[in-house]
Amino acid sequence: MGIENEGLSTAESLRKTRTYGQVRCHNPSCMGRLQPERGAKQVKCPVCGCEFRVAWVKEGFPRIRGPVWDVNKRIAEEAFERKMKEEK
Amino acid sequence: MALDRKIAYIDLSTGKIEIKPIPIDIRRKFLGGRGLDAYLLYNHTEKGIDPLGPKNTIMVSGGLLTATLASATARTHVMAKSPLGGMVGSCNMGGFFAPELAWAGFHHLVIKGKADKPVYLWIHNGKIEIRDAKNLWGKTVTDTQWAIREELGDDDIKSLVIGPAGENLVRFANVMTGIKNSGGRTGMGAVMGSKNLKAIAARGTMDIKIAYPREALEYNKRFIDQITSAKVNQTQGTLGTPFIWGATNSWGGIRCRNFQYNQQLYCDDIEPEAIDEACTETIGPYHMTGCFGCQVHCRAKYKIPTGPYAGVYDEGPEYTSQGAFCGEPDCRSLETLLVGNHLVNQFGMDNLETGSLIAWAMELYELGILTDKETDGLDLRFGNDEALLEMVKRICFRKGWLGDTLAEGGLIASERIGKNSFDYLIQVKGVSNLHSDERATPALALNIATASRGSDHLRSRPAIDLYHLPVEVMRKIYSSPVPYDGPLSSEHTEYIGKPWQVFWHENCYMAVDCLGICKYHTTFLGATLPNFEDWSKVIYLNTGLEFTPREIWDIAERCNMIERLFNLREGLKREDPYRGDLLNHRYFDEPTRRGAPDVVGRVIDREKFRKMVDEFYEYKGLDKEGIPKPETLKRLGLDKEPSHLL
Amino acid sequence: MEPMGKVLAITPEKCTGCRLCELVCSVFHDGVSNAARSRIKVVKWESEGIYVPMSCQQCQDAPCMIVCPVKAISRDEALNRVMVNHDICIGCRSCVAVCPFGAMGFNVIDRKNFKCDLCDGDPQCVRFCEVKAVDYVDANQVSLAKKKAAAEKITAAQRQAVALASESH
Repeated sequence: MGIENEGLSTAESLRKTRTYGQVRCHNPSCMGRLQPERGAKQVKCPVCGCEFRVAWVKEGFPRIRGPVWDVNKRIAEEAFERKMKEEK
Repeated sequence: MALDRKIAYIDLSTGKIEIKPIPIDIRRKFLGGRGLDAYLLYNHTEKGIDPLGPKNTIMVSGGLLTATLASATARTHVMAKSPLGGMVGSCNMGGFFAPELAWAGFHHLVIKGKADKPVYLWIHNGKIEIRDAKNLWGKTVTDTQWAIREELGDDDIKSLVIGPAGENLVRFANVMTGIKNSGGRTGMGAVMGSKNLKAIAARGTMDIKIAYPREALEYNKRFIDQITSAKVNQTQGTLGTPFIWGATNSWGGIRCRNFQYNQQLYCDDIEPEAIDEACTETIGPYHMTGCFGCQVHCRAKYKIPTGPYAGVYDEGPEYTSQGAFCGEPDCRSLETLLVGNHLVNQFGMDNLETGSLIAWAMELYELGILTDKETDGLDLRFGNDEALLEMVKRICFRKGWLGDTLAEGGLIASERIGKNSFDYLIQVKGVSNLHSDERATPALALNIATASRGSDHLRSRPAIDLYHLPVEVMRKIYSSPVPYDGPLSSEHTEYIGKPWQVFWHENCYMAVDCLGICKYHTTFLGATLPNFEDWSKVIYLNTGLEFTPREIWDIAERCNMIERLFNLREGLKREDPYRGDLLNHRYFDEPTRRGAPDVVGRVIDREKFRKMVDEFYEYKGLDKEGIPKPETLKRLGLDKEPSHLL
Repeated sequence: MEPMGKVLAITPEKCTGCRLCELVCSVFHDGVSNAARSRIKVVKWESEGIYVPMSCQQCQDAPCMIVCPVKAISRDEALNRVMVNHDICIGCRSCVAVCPFGAMGFNVIDRKNFKCDLCDGDPQCVRFCEVKAVDYVDANQVSLAKKKAAAEKITAAQRQAVALASESH
């Protein structure tokens, strides 16, 4: 009971699964792990072609700030048209 | 070890105050905080009462671990029947009130009746006094708190207050504490207003015993380390909750133009980094602040940098304000965001509900369902920043036909507006959705549809479903403390396995709310954050009470069920569009148009959604109609409710 | 001469106002949660978002020590702290009245004064303050760090001035 069990809890044992320096592509079917170059302002997913603006929470800790609007908007519009056609 | 914790019953009609200890066997069934409040709500309200009438009962509480060493034990919970949808009304806020209430000698307050003139409660070292609030009535959220401190001559007083919105019975008025800690959703501020209760002020210097002080200190260090080392919390501690909005908008999960789009485009000026820059410029490099005991410090401090409010200090804005003042109405000005956030904080009004309803009205205006006649000439088009902020004020002060109408909340407003306005109202159980769009995320859609207080992300949202976690990792999380060997999927656009995840998170969040811990300290936004096993230890070291992880789970299940019993008593029906476990038809009929390529073109599949609800009901022990089976109530020890034990 | 030893170094700008220092202080010393028992207190100007942790400065010429009529207060040079001997203390509260920082508390429950004892060399407030608003450093480093921060501001200003001057040409 309680603290007598000094072993790691599930949450603690999962800690080693944390990945630093990488971000995930925001496209769900893609899930590509992207590793922006140090200090880079943009990153392109080599798998699905989406492009993202990168911000740095701190050194070595990137985060996707948002899409490169024009690029991802075009990709989204094309994907939408394609899917609507497929449904017909 | 005996817990010496008290509950106070306060009748505002008669002025009678009764103080009792909280028996340990009640703790073992309902733990504390929201769970115990839910028990009290079910036992202290009658069926069908007017939420804004004297028969509603309002509960105010800290959790079982409030003011102890469990990383961050700051949360205050408030519960009553909701004036917004008539279901469970519940709000939960950070800040410093609950620990102060605990040091003042109380963990739970049950407030009944109605005062004949404005009053406030003064709670100080085991004593409760009902005081005249004549000089407080009409004051804003912060002015009320500072005036109480001045009147009572103590700067360390912490108060729960309502602002003008609560006084004006805006059905989504908040209970507030500090600059911006908001008990939002479901209009608990309006319930306080209806009772003529302007504030609850607390100040205490009484001890809260810690069962094993040295061990609790050591474990707290380990607990905090686990929490603050998570990437998600490091990001929170730098950018605050806006980072969630930013990421969600990036892939296409943010409502824009009410529900027309699932992403706001070209909104660089209100992205988290832009907000952060404004905070740095106006406050300095260290501009994050935190709630009691919390090392995540996710709340930003800022001064409005430009415009008529330039120089005004406030805190936030949270992602909910980005939803309300950016995405939903499609406004992209940082100033609008910061001013809008300031207004709702000062008025004490729910930002999510405010933004959602205004965006809904904007869509109705563009469709011609609302005209200049109803808006009193206000040009309520999407993207009109001035109209947005003007509407916030009109709602709070019930100014003009539309201001007064929207102040009634979506359900009543849609009746008043008429035509097919209800079809465009994005709500569940009378509560507007937050700013997120769940068409591409079935798990999240199931969450908001079934949440007990109406459309809400903080009841059961499996947010980590968006992280594409490997199935092995998901398996580890979701098969403890009760075994689960069903399917799981890493894809957040999938339907399989999601009902179990929602069920798991529903119990996880209930447990957190019972303990009085913040959700950023559990498996909400981070997969590696503490849950049942960790709480078992932290409860033991702080209180001496022994609960296995499984027992905590069972309590959470019981507490969720009593909330469901309340909702069923008040008319919850599975597929009732007004008070059901159902989503607006647009989720099923209008495909998403923006976001990541795999997110566009998505709707929620009606049949698959129904099956998810079926499966979710099964886990909860409900029949197909969503009513608990007799054996479920027996298993959870709820077959004799209301039992009036407390 | 012996080095002076470590002191509490407080940087108010860094304080997030969470008051965990108050909580751990009371649990460590008294085994209970009660901010009123804490030796450190975060003084707040909430309407401006300003938070200042206040604690004993362990003064060299400590007014509390000087004013104490029964000499219950003394300096512990090993840990560079000012200590109260409660066997001698008569509870007159002269020290509470005279402390210029309000760092000498008086506990109305136990009817004793109380002050920071640096947790015998491992201050818990420091240990739990992740943002290092409260730190425990060598006494000579406090001014060194401040010098450096100020110097950085000066060089930044100088660089800016140079850049501006070159732009105008």
